[in-house]
Amino acid sequence: MYPDIVMEHFMHPRNVGKIKNPTSVGEFENEARAKAVFYVVVEDGVVTDIKYQVAGCPFAIAVCSLISEYAKTKRVEELKVFSMDDVKRFFEIPEDKEDCIKLSINAFLNAIIPLT
Amino acid sequence: MNKVIYLDNAATTPVDRRVLEKMLPFFSEKFANPATKWTSSLSKEVDDYIEEARENIANLLNADVEEIYFTSGGTESDNAAIKGIAWANRDKGSEIISTHIEHEAVLRPLETLARQGFTIKFVPVDSKGFVYPDEVKKLITKHTILISIMHANNEIGSIEAIEEIGKIARENGIYFHTDAVQTVGHVPVDVKAMNIDLLSLSAHKFYGPKGVGALFVRRDTNIAPFMEGGGQERGLRSGTLNSTGIVGLGEAAKIAKAEMAFNEERIRKIRDTLFESIQREIPEVYLNGAEGEKRLSGNLNFVIKGIRSEPLLTTMNERGIVIGGGSACSAGSKEPSHVLRAIAVPDDDLFSGIRMTIGKFNSEDEVMPIVINLKDAVKKLRDLSPFWMKGD
Repeated sequence: MYPDIVMEHFMHPRNVGKIKNPTSVGEFENEARAKAVFYVVVEDGVVTDIKYQVAGCPFAIAVCSLISEYAKTKRVEELKVFSMDDVKRFFEIPEDKEDCIKLSINAFLNAIIPLT
Repeated sequence: MNKVIYLDNAATTPVDRRVLEKMLPFFSEKFANPATKWTSSLSKEVDDYIEEARENIANLLNADVEEIYFTSGGTESDNAAIKGIAWANRDKGSEIISTHIEHEAVLRPLETLARQGFTIKFVPVDSKGFVYPDEVKKLITKHTILISIMHANNEIGSIEAIEEIGKIARENGIYFHTDAVQTVGHVPVDVKAMNIDLLSLSAHKFYGPKGVGALFVRRDTNIAPFMEGGGQERGLRSGTLNSTGIVGLGEAAKIAKAEMAFNEERIRKIRDTLFESIQREIPEVYLNGAEGEKRLSGNLNFVIKGIRSEPLLTTMNERGIVIGGGSACSAGSKEPSHVLRAIAVPDDDLFSGIRMTIGKFNSEDEVMPIVINLKDAVKKLRDLSPFWMKGD
């Protein structure tokens, strides 16, 4: 079964939804047709608001939620190197779920990297 | 935790208490090896029970007792039938006819045979999952040795016209195997009337134990042994008989024969009420497969637009409702259903299929909690989904 933190964020995802006038939008869809979209508002190089939409497995959903909490108030310069290793600090990643987690990370980076 | 609502009866069923009671003595006091029945009265007693079980299976299928071979379950029976016929009849031909909606226990052995030089021809199915017997006829050549077509599909519950397909096979002197794992114990099966030469069945799909099943092989069928060794099961399937499991299988068969009609009517009613309620409460839901009599009474398979099945199943499981199926979001880890693909479910919906399968231990009282929880879970996941544009 899922790690506790994944289950907690999956069952109660934070910061869900769209932002009307975002500074940047990043999306990613994989070959299994799972999709994540991140909306960020950035002021003076700092993420002040972040929301997302996601259709994926519980891991993909939980990681979107974790990223949204992690990124708020952080600098874009710091976030542009966000990777699997950062997710690994929250929970151990099962090998067959790496693609699901990459889905969320890639969508997030697609929103952040154009801002740097 | 409240009682779990179990909606995955096509995957497996709980053992009926009466079956369990019948099995228990065979773990300890009635433990003897039935192979030594001529010299040991302990063995003779076990052997008598095994033969009683064989008779119960034969009665359920309208077969003769000598035509029933015990196996470890559906997968072994399918492998044994397909490879056993192919290998024993290679001198007569190397073509086999099957469908794309078979269980993996049929598809994988067919792939192995293809690598060994056999030609596998697939009959198309229509958008409801049905094979047309005329299409089967078109694929037959003088090299065809076997037709293997399932009785009913495990995902969408379509019941195939196997009586007609069997007739075509018989007229052309071709062996006909059917994977009847989903139907035996649920739907009347008559191997004589349906012109079946080989039939696979599994105990745990109809309230018997796991790890035991049977293969019906019509008398005088030319088939290679499927397990070599001490010569049990008339030399076709060696190995000490799983007497505990076999006795359970026999009891499950006896109960099924007596109670099938009553159970299936009840199950169908629950299934129909459930789907009517789901359609009333949740927008943009559609059924995969056929409506009516040609669908297994306990089977529901539907698409919920805009969401993926995996998080839905997890959410429902958290709420004590167990649903089967589902496709993962990594293409590497799990492909979408080959059955939904075969019946041409649109690409957008391939990961949104939900299967609910009702069994005899479900009740009408469960419908309301299922629908309430499903509606809530679907709303939550649709609110999250970038594919669900409604409500913007």
